[in-house]
Amino acid sequence: MAKRKTKSSFVGIKVTTEQAKTLTRLQGVLNSPTKTEVLLKGLDLLSKSYSATLVPREGRPDTKAEPRVVTSLELSQLESEAHQYISILQQTKNRSEEVMKQVIQELAKIDQTIDKYGGDKDCLIQILLDIQRENRWLPKDALMWVSQKLDIPLTQIYHIATFYKAFSLVPQGRHSVSVCMGTACHVRGAPRLLEKVTDTLKIKPGETSDDMRFSLKTVNCLGCCALGPVMVVDEDYHSNPSTGEMEKIFATCD
Amino acid sequence: MPRLNSATDLEKLRQEILAHRDPNKPCVTICSGTGCHAYGSEKVADTFLNEIQSKNLQKKVDIRRTGCHGYCERGTIVVIFPEEICYLRVKPEDVPEIIATTLVEGKIIERLLYEDDDGQKIIHEGDIPFYKHQRRIVFGPNRFIDPKSINDYIARGGYAALAKVLSEMTPEQVLEEVKKANLRGRGGGGFPAGIKWETTRNAPGEIKYVIVNADEGDPGAYMDRSLLEGNPHSVLEGLIIGAYTIGAHQGFIYVRQEYPLAVENLYIILEQAREHGLLGANILGSGFDFDVMVHRGAGAFVSGESSALMTAIEGRVGEPRPKYIRTAVSGIWGKPSNLNNVETWATIPLIINNGVTWFTSIGTEKSKGTKIFSLVGKVNNTGLVEVPMGMTLREVIYDIGGGIPHGKKFKGVQTGGPSGGVIPESLIDTRVDFDELTKAGSMMGSGGMIVMDEDTCMVDVARYFLSFLSEESCGQCVPCREGIYQMLKILNRICAGQGKPGDIELLEEIAEVVRDASLCALGATAPNPVLSTIKYFRDEYEAHVEKKRCPAGVCKALISYYIEPKKCQACLICLRNCPAEAISGGKNLIHIINQDKCTKCGVCLEVCPPQFDAVVKLSGVPVPKPVAIGTEVKRKRGEKSE
Ligand SMILES: Cc1cc2nc3c(=O)[nH]c(=O)nc-3n(C[C@H](O)[C@H](O)[C@H](O)COP(=O)(O)O)c2cc1C
Ligand code: FES
Repeated sequence: MAKRKTKSSFVGIKVTTEQAKTLTRLQGVLNSPTKTEVLLKGLDLLSKSYSATLVPREGRPDTKAEPRVVTSLELSQLESEAHQYISILQQTKNRSEEVMKQVIQELAKIDQTIDKYGGDKDCLIQILLDIQRENRWLPKDALMWVSQKLDIPLTQIYHIATFYKAFSLVPQGRHSVSVCMGTACHVRGAPRLLEKVTDTLKIKPGETSDDMRFSLKTVNCLGCCALGPVMVVDEDYHSNPSTGEMEKIFATCD
Repeated sequence: MPRLNSATDLEKLRQEILAHRDPNKPCVTICSGTGCHAYGSEKVADTFLNEIQSKNLQKKVDIRRTGCHGYCERGTIVVIFPEEICYLRVKPEDVPEIIATTLVEGKIIERLLYEDDDGQKIIHEGDIPFYKHQRRIVFGPNRFIDPKSINDYIARGGYAALAKVLSEMTPEQVLEEVKKANLRGRGGGGFPAGIKWETTRNAPGEIKYVIVNADEGDPGAYMDRSLLEGNPHSVLEGLIIGAYTIGAHQGFIYVRQEYPLAVENLYIILEQAREHGLLGANILGSGFDFDVMVHRGAGAFVSGESSALMTAIEGRVGEPRPKYIRTAVSGIWGKPSNLNNVETWATIPLIINNGVTWFTSIGTEKSKGTKIFSLVGKVNNTGLVEVPMGMTLREVIYDIGGGIPHGKKFKGVQTGGPSGGVIPESLIDTRVDFDELTKAGSMMGSGGMIVMDEDTCMVDVARYFLSFLSEESCGQCVPCREGIYQMLKILNRICAGQGKPGDIELLEEIAEVVRDASLCALGATAPNPVLSTIKYFRDEYEAHVEKKRCPAGVCKALISYYIEPKKCQACLICLRNCPAEAISGGKNLIHIINQDKCTKCGVCLEVCPPQFDAVVKLSGVPVPKPVAIGTEVKRKRGEKSE
């Protein structure tokens, strides 16, 4: 495990004797992480379904939206939000131990991932890919945790997380819908297919439906150009489905 | 598995494997490449396994899942050895019949065979025109090999080149061979591999790296993927030979994580190679140490560029850097690093095994060997093809690709991905060769070959690539970041029917600056799609700008749909299907599209029954005044509506 940073970036947490007892007990549950770690995990609990609200680069080609860039201002905002969460944590006196444990387990998974790569900073992209695969997105607190553990500035982590297409900074829906925008599919009418999909799902590429059912994205050549234009729902490939077929396919996804 | 400690051990193992294999025992190979997978090859393979088991035929028949055979148009492909009977478009339902008829009775099932234009059935894979005109030296073995089985690879003489190099040749000798073979890089620029190897070898410093570029960022190509998925050991063998020659002890395979099967196969085969003593310390008892790490790329086109890729391997953001000092001298962590494409590496063992004379006998004077292309788009036989350098585009598109579907007219072929250009019909006899394609204003690139017919709008194609590139530009340098964006803005404008006089000239002017002033090759080659389409299809640009007409009928803002009153039979189909409810009319009443409501989705054209053929796409001409609402359809007597 990498040498730990001081608690300074998550300072100011005073706990009652009661809470301290709980935390000490929790320490034992997970191969004795330090108290700061336990607290960080509590932080995660509180920001559980919280996303960094930074929209990733949107799909191509016909999206009008400008790609978003993370500014240092936004990052400092994130930091201050983190502090807010800490104060909420202080207010919450009787957090259920069970939920705490669950949260701790989640972050412990990240620990395992980091350990898998020997805590090597050079493997940051590989670590993020594993976290992305596990959660289907990169929760903010996971990134904060990685930053803390690997001693890499959060800015640098966000630089990577926003640069590569594989990463998502918002939670993803239960079903993933991808439309191939590769060249072969493009000349065979992918833009029209994409339009049909966006009309049917009522979301744009890079977005997730409000009920968390579908996430839509565009991808490049899937290696099955003979089927083009192609839409992939979870694992199934569909060759240029009509609007009717599409509705049937989506209806089978709960 | 005991370690192999010498070339003799390897040969002994090969003999042992062969001794356990009866060459006459029927073997059913099922293509499990990405294309066939999408068609459901997994189910076909599972059905074979289950049926064979339930019929107790395991001892009589082998089943093998192989990598991509290339003929993706006709998946799932099943080939039965030793006769090489090739069945196309096989579905799980066909499996029991194949077992009963072909495997048990030894008879051919006619309906699953390839049928040529004259109705002749073709039994053997190699006789099908799609394969017959190819020269599949790198890609061919895919169809015999289970990618996850090192024994399959060794049985076919795999790792013999490595054994030869380690036991009989000095690094200098290997280098000499590669140089003499004049192998040029298959990943883009066509830089001679031998010279690059030599630079890295001679660069000062003890620690050196060799790297496989399997980022395959070209958005319309998948040959590297198919090689890694189908025959990963061949790439690894080439890499180890390169490492020995250059003096590297650590290698990397940079593979995009969007290729999960390739990643999975790589982890498996690296482990196999280590167990066999083909990787790790003291490879084949030669005293040479080398190991490989897999680095998954997280999806950024620009990270396929050499310096960017190396930065990414260091765990940082994969952005290119100025190359005052080449990566061959200062690459990963400032150490000399040699990067080659998947296909380049996979060609190395062939050169060692078969000799320079054999290799240089294939191809043209300056481009030796073969090249794999992904032949896709508006072509009858979509798939991966490997052809000797020097074949003409016409041969590739017509003899192998079987021409353009639906009797449409060929318009152009795009090669080289986003860095390449479109080659028009007038130049279809151009030979595929690094220099010839460059001369034609395109480039070889990684090997995408996208065929376009008369229904493809060239302005839209240019816009497509620029929109890809503007998304993928890392944004470090102004000419690329702003230049591409400005060009894209102009193209968007032209496609939207708001082109202004002078736009085309402005495009050319910006293109020049972007080409000359960009930091890396992404920007430097970005103007190619624009410049080549302007060069060969200027009239199409002019039609968009001056006449507000899209000749191919693609650009939405420039087209309208119209129902010809004389042809309309008032069948109600378009009216019911129109998602915008823009069509009025009724039973026996001529249907009319309300142009203000129409979203130009084209559904009406799609659904209008071909025998009526009443919906037309118009561009550049005013929409004729509609007939009065409520006009009745005039029918000949005896005809009925619906
Ligand atoms: C923007 C950009 C993207 C590239 N993407 C790839 C790629 O995906 N795969 C590849 O092999 N080469 C790619 N290249 C070319 C590499 O920079 C490099 O030339 C090549 O991998 C060297 O291998 P080779 O000499 O065997 O061709 C790319 C180049 C640029 C400028
Ligand atoms: S371009 Fe869509 S699958 Fe190849």
